[in-house]
Amino acid sequence: MTTLAVTAPAGRRFGIGAIVLIITGLFVLLCLAAIAFGSTWIPLETVAHVILGGGEKTEKLVVWQLRMPRVMAAAIAGAAIAFSGYLLQRITRNELASPGVLGVVDGAALGVVLFLAIFSNESNSLTVSVAWQPLAAAIGALTAISLVFILSGRQSSSAIRLLLFGIAIAAVAKALTTVFMLIGPIYQAAQAARWLAGAVNAISWSEIQIMALCLVPTVLVAGWLAKDLPPADLDDVSSRSIGLNLPVYRIAVFFVAALLTSIAVAFVGGVGFLGLIAPHLARLLVGRARFAGILASMLIGAMMLIGADLLVRVAFTPLEVPAGTVTAIVGAPYFLFLLMRKDKTNG
Amino acid sequence: MADLVPSRIEVRDLTLMYGHDTVLDALNLPIPRGKVTVLAGPNGCGKSTLLRAIRRLHTGQKGKILLDDVDIATLGAKDLARQIGLLAQNPSAPPDMTVEELVRLGRYPHQAMLQPWSEKDGVAVNRAMDGTGVTGLKHRRIGSLSGGQLQRAWIAMVLAQETDVICLDEPVNHLDMAHQLDCLDLVSKLNKEDGRTIVLVLHDLNLAARYADQLVFVHEGHVRALGQPEELMKPELLAEVFEVDAAIMTDPVHGRPICIPRGRARAAAKEVA
Repeated sequence: MTTLAVTAPAGRRFGIGAIVLIITGLFVLLCLAAIAFGSTWIPLETVAHVILGGGEKTEKLVVWQLRMPRVMAAAIAGAAIAFSGYLLQRITRNELASPGVLGVVDGAALGVVLFLAIFSNESNSLTVSVAWQPLAAAIGALTAISLVFILSGRQSSSAIRLLLFGIAIAAVAKALTTVFMLIGPIYQAAQAARWLAGAVNAISWSEIQIMALCLVPTVLVAGWLAKDLPPADLDDVSSRSIGLNLPVYRIAVFFVAALLTSIAVAFVGGVGFLGLIAPHLARLLVGRARFAGILASMLIGAMMLIGADLLVRVAFTPLEVPAGTVTAIVGAPYFLFLLMRKDKTNG
Repeated sequence: MADLVPSRIEVRDLTLMYGHDTVLDALNLPIPRGKVTVLAGPNGCGKSTLLRAIRRLHTGQKGKILLDDVDIATLGAKDLARQIGLLAQNPSAPPDMTVEELVRLGRYPHQAMLQPWSEKDGVAVNRAMDGTGVTGLKHRRIGSLSGGQLQRAWIAMVLAQETDVICLDEPVNHLDMAHQLDCLDLVSKLNKEDGRTIVLVLHDLNLAARYADQLVFVHEGHVRALGQPEELMKPELLAEVFEVDAAIMTDPVHGRPICIPRGRARAAAKEVA
């Protein structure tokens, strides 16, 4: 038997706690920087001053009403999607799994586009509260991932089959989304297109509140489920023979992961590849440690979305390029890299 | 013989289908307490399926499996996992998992929700690692182990589970001769010293005859014969079940029967039938 070279994660060398602390520090710095940068530069100490309750009226307005909401939204959504990706990668025992690949993001997109199409009147305004949009996204996402499971049927324990069906379902959802946008009113199509690309610029405090309210219980349930992740790291027969009810557990994890992503994308749009890269980087940094891995994934996911949003604000002003474009541009090559590397190690 | 020992497990009228194929057909089998039972049979006879069914890893099986007169269908997942352990045929764990992490997973069924890890768990893990000789490897990663080390690490995980019944599905498949003996001697020691009930699926008939207290020939979804190796290692029976024309001798070292196949015995099988 050939001996596999297994690289030790950085966490082995520096201590997992220290790594998580460094990531947290970077996260705080990035948050402050993201608030400071924009059409006008606000010095970091002023940002800190305003956050602690001081500052002038205009500074307060810019910080609290213009910049803080998008940073907060990006942080919360990025963290949720990364957590979702972490769960999916562990439960499928495959580092290529992600909410996007399993059809969750495109399913949510279809849900949102259908919602906009069904509940708009002739004057292009919504007939129901926009607060229902997340529900539409969640229904779309869960429908997509359920279809993936039903179609893969008995083979659903095979990660490769799941990924293939996920990609297929994602493609179908994407095609349907395009069709509905083409036959829908122009205004609606423009709205939907912005959402699909992923953008945090238009978000309001009340939307952030709804997002956080939906996410808190979901994150708690996900954290509770995460305690059984280690036995699920083994093959099906072994994990079941040590007493894990794997079929039920796997479905629960998929459901919660889909929910996490769908809530996040319902508000910030189809942010691609975050759920793939963040957990992967976290694993490289902290190794297999579960809760450190989850925390690091969430922080990295948050930073990626904040960073993407910051980049589009600074580099493309006055154009409002959706942040999802940046994550996709960075993420797609990373996905290819992972695919090629996997081919190499698997022969 | 086997009937003198009360059965630990009773398989009763077990029928199992894969789609329209009947893999096990109203199969009955007693598994005596504190003995080594070896299931043998040709490829596709259903022996691995039977082993997994004993551990309730198949859904949609008909019939009953009684563990000390209790139907295992009524037991909870963790409850059953504290009583019957199983080493899968091709187990897999993430390559960056350490040996100790793997062995600790064997304690999963013993852990309650609010009291995750106890001293008792630590003792069981250390004992399992000592017993299998992997203590020195405990910080090594699964991906860096040799085949023999890996198999011992997995057996340690099953041992840490501290079950009274241990099932092993072709545990020596990918091992060289020395490691095959290592592995089976270890299993035999568990049986003799701790009195555990062992159920093994083995491909190699001579190894089966050497280690079995009760040998079981599974053929086309039925138990064709069961008994002590001396009773089963008969040319006619081997011709029928395994389709080999074999000479039977007595192993001069262990006194157990061994078979030396001369060739296939399709014609002989027909004559017997």
